[in-house]
Amino acid sequence: MSQVEEQNLTEVSNGGHEEILHENTLYAEPIYHVGNFTITNALLNSWLAVIIIILLCLAVKSKAKLIPQGIQNAFEMVVEGFLGIFDSVTGSRAKSMKFFPLVFGFFLFILINNWLGLLPGVGSVGQVVAEHGEKVFVPYMRAGTADLNTTLALAIIGLVASHIFGIVAIGIWKHFNKFINLKVLAEIPKKIFKDPTVIIVNPIKAFVGLIEIIGEIAKVASLSFRLFGNVFAGEVLLASMSAILAWGLPIPFMFLEVLVGLIQALIFAMLILAYLTINTTAEEH
Amino acid sequence: MESLISTFNIDYKLLIAQMVNFAIVFAVLYFFALKPLFKVMQERTKKIEKSLDEAKAIEEKLARTEEEHKRVIAESRKEAAAILAKAGEQAEVKKEATIAKAKEEIGQIINKEKEQMRAEKAQTLKEIKQETMDLVIATVEKILGEKMDDKKDVELIKKVLNK
Repeated sequence: MSQVEEQNLTEVSNGGHEEILHENTLYAEPIYHVGNFTITNALLNSWLAVIIIILLCLAVKSKAKLIPQGIQNAFEMVVEGFLGIFDSVTGSRAKSMKFFPLVFGFFLFILINNWLGLLPGVGSVGQVVAEHGEKVFVPYMRAGTADLNTTLALAIIGLVASHIFGIVAIGIWKHFNKFINLKVLAEIPKKIFKDPTVIIVNPIKAFVGLIEIIGEIAKVASLSFRLFGNVFAGEVLLASMSAILAWGLPIPFMFLEVLVGLIQALIFAMLILAYLTINTTAEEH
Repeated sequence: MESLISTFNIDYKLLIAQMVNFAIVFAVLYFFALKPLFKVMQERTKKIEKSLDEAKAIEEKLARTEEEHKRVIAESRKEAAAILAKAGEQAEVKKEATIAKAKEEIGQIINKEKEQMRAEKAQTLKEIKQETMDLVIATVEKILGEKMDDKKDVELIKKVLNK
């Protein structure tokens, strides 16, 4: 039992007895249950994004030749462009190449997910479910990144990866000391006779390390909420605009959302790249 | 925290599902697209660098060859001129030698001829003398034979002997 948004809107505005609640929820609504696993509309969209990326990759793979043609050319152009941007962040081509697959993966996955949320039919084709005695419209599709589960998962992966890269690059002891700075505390007895100020300075340094831990949690929160907030706000914006006037009015906002989708994907990827670069650089004081 | 989880409906199963999604995306992107693409791109870069190096080397070689070419030509020109001069000189020398030899030979031939002619002349003179003598003797005999008696003969012999 699927209905189109416009019909729902008219029904709502008519104020009939069969009132169907049409709201943009903060969370992705469940569509189907497999055992105790809930498939939400955002998850469905993410799967679609995965399929699209797989097809794209297969298309590139089957045509990877020394003399590029068609899709390979376009893909290479994008890759080269990104490598150029990455170089300005990492400072070296070798590092850019090392981080590229992960960061580009984030970018592509988020971008496809963001843009899938803008397709006509996403958010407007759905089913009406009885909930708490009220009829609620539940769309089949919802942008994957308009669900905090998705953005949180991505942020956690990115941050864990940045720490793994950091440990591999500068060693576990050095990396560990960035956060719980035992090295600085251990230095106090050695240096205290030469330079008495260490007794004040080094505990401060150790405390700064502890703040870094909170910083890491803040990174996850900011990454996930920024992406989620932007995409969700875009959805709400589009829904509001089409509620005011469904014909023509949402078009400029649609373009805006296309841009926002691209920018947010880029921001997420570049922030992960920056974290990777910071964590793989040994800190010298 | 509780309210946060319930507001945004954070579900660890969904979280894991999205992580798996991203893992798939990453794996597919890396193994199917980026790895072969990077390989191809690196290969291409290498190939282009190699070609450029080769082109440079070829150009250098060409320049070197041209120089060599010019050098060889100049050298051979010089050599040819020297050979020509030498040949001229040699020809002159040979000519002179030939002329001298010819002169000598001619002289020799002339001398030989002269000698031969002299010898022949002498022979002829000798022969003429002999024949004249014979003739004279015969004539004398003929003339004297009849008129000579033994007396006269003896006289003559004596005369001749006395001479």
